[in-house]
Amino acid sequence: MKHDPVVIGIETSCDETAIGIVRGRTLLANVIASSVEEHARFGGVVPEIASRAHLEAMLPTIEKALYDSKLTLADIDAVAVTAGPGLIGALLVGVASASGLALGLGKPIFGVNHLASHVAVDLLSHDEPIKPTIALLVSGGHSSLLQVDDITSSITKLGETMDDAAGEAFDKIARIMNLGFPGGPAIDREAKLGNSTAIDFPRGLTQSSDWQTRPYDFSFSGLKTAVARYLEATPNFVRSDVAASFQEAIVDVLIRKAVAACRATGIDSLVIAGGVAANSRLRIVAQEQCDKFKIALRIPSPLMCTDNGAMVATLGSLLVSASRPPSHIGFEADSSMSVTTISLTL
Amino acid sequence: MTIALAIDTSTSRTSVAIIEAGAILWHGHRDGATSHGDALPALVAEGLKGTSLIDVVVVGMGPGPFTGLRVGVAFARTFAFTRNISVVGVCSLDAIAAMVREEFDFIIATDARRKEVYWAKYISGARVDGPHVDFPAKVASIGLPIFGEGGVKYSIASDDEIVYPDMVALVAIAANSASQISEPMYLRRPDAVPTNERKP
Ligand SMILES: [Zn+2]
Repeated sequence: MKHDPVVIGIETSCDETAIGIVRGRTLLANVIASSVEEHARFGGVVPEIASRAHLEAMLPTIEKALYDSKLTLADIDAVAVTAGPGLIGALLVGVASASGLALGLGKPIFGVNHLASHVAVDLLSHDEPIKPTIALLVSGGHSSLLQVDDITSSITKLGETMDDAAGEAFDKIARIMNLGFPGGPAIDREAKLGNSTAIDFPRGLTQSSDWQTRPYDFSFSGLKTAVARYLEATPNFVRSDVAASFQEAIVDVLIRKAVAACRATGIDSLVIAGGVAANSRLRIVAQEQCDKFKIALRIPSPLMCTDNGAMVATLGSLLVSASRPPSHIGFEADSSMSVTTISLTL
Repeated sequence: MTIALAIDTSTSRTSVAIIEAGAILWHGHRDGATSHGDALPALVAEGLKGTSLIDVVVVGMGPGPFTGLRVGVAFARTFAFTRNISVVGVCSLDAIAAMVREEFDFIIATDARRKEVYWAKYISGARVDGPHVDFPAKVASIGLPIFGEGGVKYSIASDDEIVYPDMVALVAIAANSASQISEPMYLRRPDAVPTNERKP
């Protein structure tokens, strides 16, 4: 392909119907239709409600993205779609829609990994290639430390959470503090008003023995329990202090372990990706620590950290440019796809 | 003449056909209640090898189990969008009913899971009641002959030959504007139970 490939990306792993269009590494459109409000009263995502909303939103969202990109369907070189992980019924709407596009247009389809897409999207905001790098992937369902030797072909998992994901911990704490759903942005806002050293909440898996056996794994369930106990035992607790101290505990562990992975592997590059990477305190602490240890830090803009279609399109575009084979028509969506599977090939 | 791409994913069978003036140019199917997602694109890809010029997409709008049903509708919509052609939806039960002789009154029942069936009642070949979703015993108590996958599954069917939608009939029904529907027929509200899974 002589010109930079134009790729449309479709993301429906959870409650957002998201379409992105890129040309090479240039963002042309990024449109998100969310059903988050329909789930709020249930305190979590209802899969069937999400899936119905995906089907309703799909064509209007694609049309809006095309309009924003000032392109027509004829300009599209490839279709990329989240093949997993995620809610299976939700994924299937995206994969079926993407397959209809690809077959209708006669273009290749790439079934890509949502988690790898979170890392890949960084290439929209930074010029230098990202290989190799350590990646801290933190979202509602995942907290992993990855070694990315090549974003199109080689991701190794160094460690992951033993229990709750970081974003999940944010959601749960926000819930018991009645801060609303989703919890991440709510706690971020509340914490800005509080003192992050007010309460010394536990840092999971950071004992010296943990650094021997599980240096890159995380555990947040103890922290969650500690916060719940503190709230119970402290009737007149200061909400903002609890939020700030809880957030500090999570951020501290995440960044400490990410920096340790960089230093141990000798890789002086760190990408932080996923919805939790939008957290303002995490971004500040990450920058401080990376400066201190001379690690080049890359975090996508907050808008690109949360789920979107541009990240899927970006990974698709990188796969096309690297001449990776497309997926076969009729691939199976995989709700528990491993982060080491970057795209589905024959 | 008009060439139709016909799709139905409302039963455990994923059916695809390419039909011109009531004649089947190509057809294929794959059975499996959870295989619509991979079966449908593969079948269409195979069908398009013979005839890629499609004028209209006809899709069964169910009723049917939600996840499989949506695969057909989602695919039909984006495929049609790329060709700038229209999608015509019809009731999938009607495309099963078309295979039954019109002289007598009957019921079509498909599998709705949870030990229930989707069903509708036909008089002289025309749907007069339904679609609804109910337990098989209630449908059997109406006392009419029953056809379709749900009838077979719950042993209340009059025969086991008429099971899945007929794709020629699906396209023929779509030609009647009074039969056209634009949204999938779910017939059930979503279970309002949030998932424990989190955003990946
Ligand atoms: Zn995500």
